Amino acid sequence: MSVSHSHTTETHAHPEMSILRKYVFSEDHKIIGIQFLFTGLIMLFVGGALALLVRLQVGWPNGTIPIIGRWFPASWGEKMSPEFYTMVFSMHASVMIFFVIIPWLTGAFGNFLIPLQIGAPDMAFPKLNMMSYWFMWPALITIIWSFFVEGGAAGSGWTSYPTLASAGMPAGSGFQSPAGPPSGYGQILWLVSLLFVGISSMMGSVNYITTIVNMRAPGMTFFRMPMSIWAMFITAILQAMALPVLTVALILQLLDKTLGTTFFLPPAGMAFGNWHTGPGGGQPLLWQHLFWFYSHPAVYIMILPAMGMVSDIISVFARKPLFGYKPMVYAIAGIAGLGFIVWGHHMFQSGMDPRLGTGFMLATIMIALPSAVKTFNWLGTIWGGNIKYTTAMLNALAFVAMFVIGGLSGIFMAATPVDVYIHDTYFIVAHIHYVLFMSSIFGIFAGIYFWFPKMFGRMMNETWGKVHFVLTFILANCTFYPMHIIGVGGHPRRYYDITIYDVFQHLQPLNVFMSVSAILLGLAQFIFVANFFYSLIWGPRAERNPWHSNTLEWSAPSPPPHGNFEETPVVYRGPYEYGHPDTEQDYAPQTDAKGPAVVAAH
Amino acid sequence: MQKGWSIFFGVILLATFLIWFAAPFFGWWLPENISTFGGGVDNLFYAILGLTTFFFVLTEVVLVYAMWKFVDRGGEKSVYTHGNHTLELVWTAIPAALLLGIAIAQIGVWEKIKYQSRMPAPDLTVSVLARQWEWRMRYPLDNQQFHYEDEDQKAASNLKSRLWAENPNFDDVHAINELHVWKNANVKLWIRTLDVLHSFTLPNLRLKQDTLPGKTIPMWFNAEKSNCEFVVRERSTGKPVTLAFNSKTKLVEVVTPSGREPLEARVADLKGELETSGNKADNWEIACQELCGSRHYAMRGRLYVHADEKSYYAWLQYSRGAQKATSLEAAVSMR
Ligand SMILES: [Cu+2]
Ligand SMILES: [Cu+2]
Repeated sequence: MSVSHSHTTETHAHPEMSILRKYVFSEDHKIIGIQFLFTGLIMLFVGGALALLVRLQVGWPNGTIPIIGRWFPASWGEKMSPEFYTMVFSMHASVMIFFVIIPWLTGAFGNFLIPLQIGAPDMAFPKLNMMSYWFMWPALITIIWSFFVEGGAAGSGWTSYPTLASAGMPAGSGFQSPAGPPSGYGQILWLVSLLFVGISSMMGSVNYITTIVNMRAPGMTFFRMPMSIWAMFITAILQAMALPVLTVALILQLLDKTLGTTFFLPPAGMAFGNWHTGPGGGQPLLWQHLFWFYSHPAVYIMILPAMGMVSDIISVFARKPLFGYKPMVYAIAGIAGLGFIVWGHHMFQSGMDPRLGTGFMLATIMIALPSAVKTFNWLGTIWGGNIKYTTAMLNALAFVAMFVIGGLSGIFMAATPVDVYIHDTYFIVAHIHYVLFMSSIFGIFAGIYFWFPKMFGRMMNETWGKVHFVLTFILANCTFYPMHIIGVGGHPRRYYDITIYDVFQHLQPLNVFMSVSAILLGLAQFIFVANFFYSLIWGPRAERNPWHSNTLEWSAPSPPPHGNFEETPVVYRGPYEYGHPDTEQDYAPQTDAKGPAVVAAH
Repeated sequence: MQKGWSIFFGVILLATFLIWFAAPFFGWWLPENISTFGGGVDNLFYAILGLTTFFFVLTEVVLVYAMWKFVDRGGEKSVYTHGNHTLELVWTAIPAALLLGIAIAQIGVWEKIKYQSRMPAPDLTVSVLARQWEWRMRYPLDNQQFHYEDEDQKAASNLKSRLWAENPNFDDVHAINELHVWKNANVKLWIRTLDVLHSFTLPNLRLKQDTLPGKTIPMWFNAEKSNCEFVVRERSTGKPVTLAFNSKTKLVEVVTPSGREPLEARVADLKGELETSGNKADNWEIACQELCGSRHYAMRGRLYVHADEKSYYAWLQYSRGAQKATSLEAAVSMR
């Protein structure tokens, strides 16, 4: 459990490293975390641009696209073609999920925070850690390359359901798809890219689990770990258990597409126009089971770390101990455990036996419970506090306010009969964006504003941070909230144009409103980027512990050197001793031997 | 000044709350329900909406109030507490009970919609075959063959009608993107796909079912409202003809001064037309809701609920006659 001192001194023994070793092929968890952070930021703009293209098409289905329209093939008449549109929404989701949210939460924050918050000099396997970052690059290159191949990038949705995604030509006749141009080469590259992402994530998970189990500083018992670490720990376990299943599914589909196997092709085969695939021997539903066995837990992979970080940040700025620490830990564990037996709720309408749907429904409804417990405990934490409205705190509170919406809307689709109606409507799109954008992204913003001083040794500008927060909070709600309403109206997802339907066309004004909001929301993010890079260079120097926080990372210099701590920290108490009545100071760092030790046993 | 943040949060959250009350006035709401089980779906929707609204208001009001009340008071220390066992128990047990209640309450409606064992004996059976990008409907001339009175015959009848869905009969009637049924009929659909996944969705029926390559999936519904009637006129004069319907044989006959003739045989002299209200709200559309390629959005069908059985069979037999005539013409021209 403890870390030998010799290891710390050993890492200190290589002070002069080449720039390449220090910043590029670095084995330092902090640099790797920051590398993930920057990569995620770049991909956020790719994914965001794709989102705006989706909104342009949905908002003005008959309009021409300004500026970008000129780059389209002449036959499209400065409009998006329906094929192009399927590609755009599929890649928007794929990029945001696999190249922004997951790398940010686990790659950036997981890497940066785990050793620092448990008092370790680095990860257990620094080389593996470096590889986990560099395996993202083949993934990035493949996915970007896929935009330029014949047929364009993958256009079968981020879920890539067979047989649309998996259908292939007979052996020797190329890799186009009979199901549609964007399901050919682009789909193959999508599969390859995700395999690399999976390898990267797996290396990360193994490292996080080992590090947390084996490298905690003396005195850092499991129940003295901050919530961020608990969340990363449980997320890593989830990932390690779920990823192999996705990997298998990806490989099977890759074989179907390249070698002509028929894992997802039914015995009778399929007919596209006058062309027949020949007999298969597989089952398209198999993909959905395998895919969601991973991707439902992945939904939690994309939110639990944010929950952990938000818990820490709220406690710091409420100047109050986290309310119900252990229930919070058990709630995360509960979400993770139940998370493995609810995947079928994505498949209520898929044609799987409806009796199975009843079972999945019961588990799914109950998973709302630990989420509710977490929310109540966050409220308990700020109740009676001394709230300091820093930008980090505002983003964290926004997380709580918005997670309530995302959590509650989930109950609608968990209810099988209601799901019959709202499945694959914009209600689902609203739900996923309230969880992944309104919650995870606000959690990430909170994390960036909070740990920026530790990452870069400088403070971000609070005023511009708040301007960015206010605009993002308003505009994101304008962009995503009306999706609930049009979903109730029946507006289907992934539609190029709803105005051809008498049942849906009256919903179109809301689409225009959301599209305008989305464009403004996109523009508002440049304030964040400007603040980020300005502060990186010209921000005021940060002290060691600018927020008067208790956790271990704040006892290291800002930014911490290679090896993190000047000497191995010793932990005397839990991470949330704020406002203790017996002491002068309103906080008690975990490393402080003199503070209120009585409560340490809690 | 700092308290302003709680007002800011409060205003945004209030707006999200109020939009639910405003939306129905703009018509942005559930479309009209016309199926027998749709009411159950809607009731459950409203129940969950009520429950979630309650918890939304509860948590957000507490949040906004706490943000107002417990703003940094400078110097003063915050309340020092690590939690409260009783509270944890209360806020775990109460939601647990409510959630369990919701979970159990919905099982019945789900069973009614989706369980094959609960589906009623069909008055009408239709085969729906999806492909990129259309719905191909096929209607049997004889619906009696799949009907049963006795529950014992259910399995045998289901098998028989599934086999029919998978193996077309020579005298079936075909229609593309048009689903015809009549009011208050128990309709059974067998849905299949030729190529990729599709999803047969009819918002007005609160009905949805994905198609799955290699599988023939049963669905059912009963529409309580009609939106059309099939009217047959003399081609020469434009006058409506009188139709007689034999509810035993399901044959529609044209009543003429000289006697009765089967409708199917007289197609050449008659002009049949579907008369609808022309009201947009009565256009009950079928939308594909599982991504099936680039024209996924354009895979639009339409539900015609005839006022009565007679109108439906008039449409069916007229179409059958027209179909026979065209295939005959095609056969002649091929020679
Ligand atoms: Cu899920
Ligand atoms: Cu379709």
